[in-house]
Amino acid sequence: MSEKKNDDFISYELQEFKLFEPLFRWARKKSLWIVAFCTGCGGIEMPPLATARYDFERFGIMPNPAPRMGDLFLITGYVTPKTLKRIIITYELMQDPKYIMIHGSCPINGGVYWDSYNVVKQFDKYLPVDVAIAGCMPRAEAVMDGIMEIMRKIEDGTADSWKRYRENYEYYRKNQDELFGEGWREKEARRWLAWI
Amino acid sequence: MNFDVRLVLEVIGMLLYATFMGFIFMGIERKAMARIQRRVGPPIYQPIIDTLKLLGKKESISHGFIYDFGPIFALGASITALLFLPLANFQLFSSNADLIVVAYLLEVPMLGIMLGAMSSGNPYSALGVQRGLLTMVAMQLPYGLAIIAIVQHFGTFKLGEIVALQQVHGWSILVPALLLAMIVFDIVFQAMIGLEPFDIITAPAEISMGPMLEYGGKQAAILFTQHAVQLFAETAFFAILFLGGASNLLELLIKQIAVLFIAIFVASIYPRFTIDQAAKFFWKWPTIIGIIAVLLTV
Repeated sequence: MSEKKNDDFISYELQEFKLFEPLFRWARKKSLWIVAFCTGCGGIEMPPLATARYDFERFGIMPNPAPRMGDLFLITGYVTPKTLKRIIITYELMQDPKYIMIHGSCPINGGVYWDSYNVVKQFDKYLPVDVAIAGCMPRAEAVMDGIMEIMRKIEDGTADSWKRYRENYEYYRKNQDELFGEGWREKEARRWLAWI
Repeated sequence: MNFDVRLVLEVIGMLLYATFMGFIFMGIERKAMARIQRRVGPPIYQPIIDTLKLLGKKESISHGFIYDFGPIFALGASITALLFLPLANFQLFSSNADLIVVAYLLEVPMLGIMLGAMSSGNPYSALGVQRGLLTMVAMQLPYGLAIIAIVQHFGTFKLGEIVALQQVHGWSILVPALLLAMIVFDIVFQAMIGLEPFDIITAPAEISMGPMLEYGGKQAAILFTQHAVQLFAETAFFAILFLGGASNLLELLIKQIAVLFIAIFVASIYPRFTIDQAAKFFWKWPTIIGIIAVLLTV
């Protein structure tokens, strides 16, 4: 059943490696590296998860400062347009397969910033999301539960946000351009790398 | 020319064993650190899972030929160093001065990583490379002094003969001068395997991952494998020089794990040096102890 569901999506892997896919899925599930980019107020929920009490390293989860090696992108709180630019650039630096988990009410529907002019109300208009944890703020147990959920989704192949980003790139690109204006990537790049 | 099948099988078996045990050593490192911090820690085979995951990435980027060549160059250097070591009763290559060859082949992988990292053009990688080269320059002097002490005492450059002499006259750390040399070598060893007081090269949370920052996917998997082989080769080199070598793989394994645990315990209680502190430290205490060790062996 789950196999059939996966065939509906575009397959990016070579047919020869189909045989090893269960092995790689197991490896992906057991070794999620978090991109250490903590936005908003949920970043403070990470230390209790990493330290002796909840210890997410026993599931192979490791905070990784390099986005190229990262797998799991945590959006831990409200997202402003300025942060969203960085989030999108970091997300596109990461290599497939990559997963996004959002914490708290703010990225889902704005939360307490529902009438703020400078907060992104609905995060999944700009980037695809695998798991969303509601709450303000979700406690460490809830975050752990979200991580368990994403591990389960990776194993049965339904954590497919990276595929959705490729398939619906036009849609996401349109929404991003609506928010930041056309050509924002080039403008941002030129701010930091003046020589290009 | 006759093709020695048994030798080829031995080499392949030794490489597989070294890579596997290297991964297990990396796992032991993470697990022991976790236990010291009163955490449960990852399973001991976690680095193998990580490498599998990195191999299973569906996308890989390249910044040019040198960028891809760097990790392979590093892995090749580590494997060559491993084949020069007398592991139990196996030694593929042997020359009159294999001590010097191994000592410098163990430093070559760092150069390979740096070659690749510099071509990625990332400023953090460039910073990491700068730090790495400075660390290498700083640790050359005490490293050289420790090896000179060994050579002076045994009067030979051949690793096989050093092991044989130790099996007759007792381990080299029983000699006071070589005990000092061992202390110097252990401090350098900490920097060579990139553990805590000297992990200035890949300082996470400071310069991201340093040279490894731009690597992802398959190149990162090669770098992980390289680190595993390197860890195995360096611990074996330590055991051969100071702990009397080994006559079988089990004995070697016990000695390697003992060496590894010293490194882990030191790493888990000391914070990171800055680069100038590390250079000053290397050129002060290890150098002084090294010079005393060399003078005692004359």
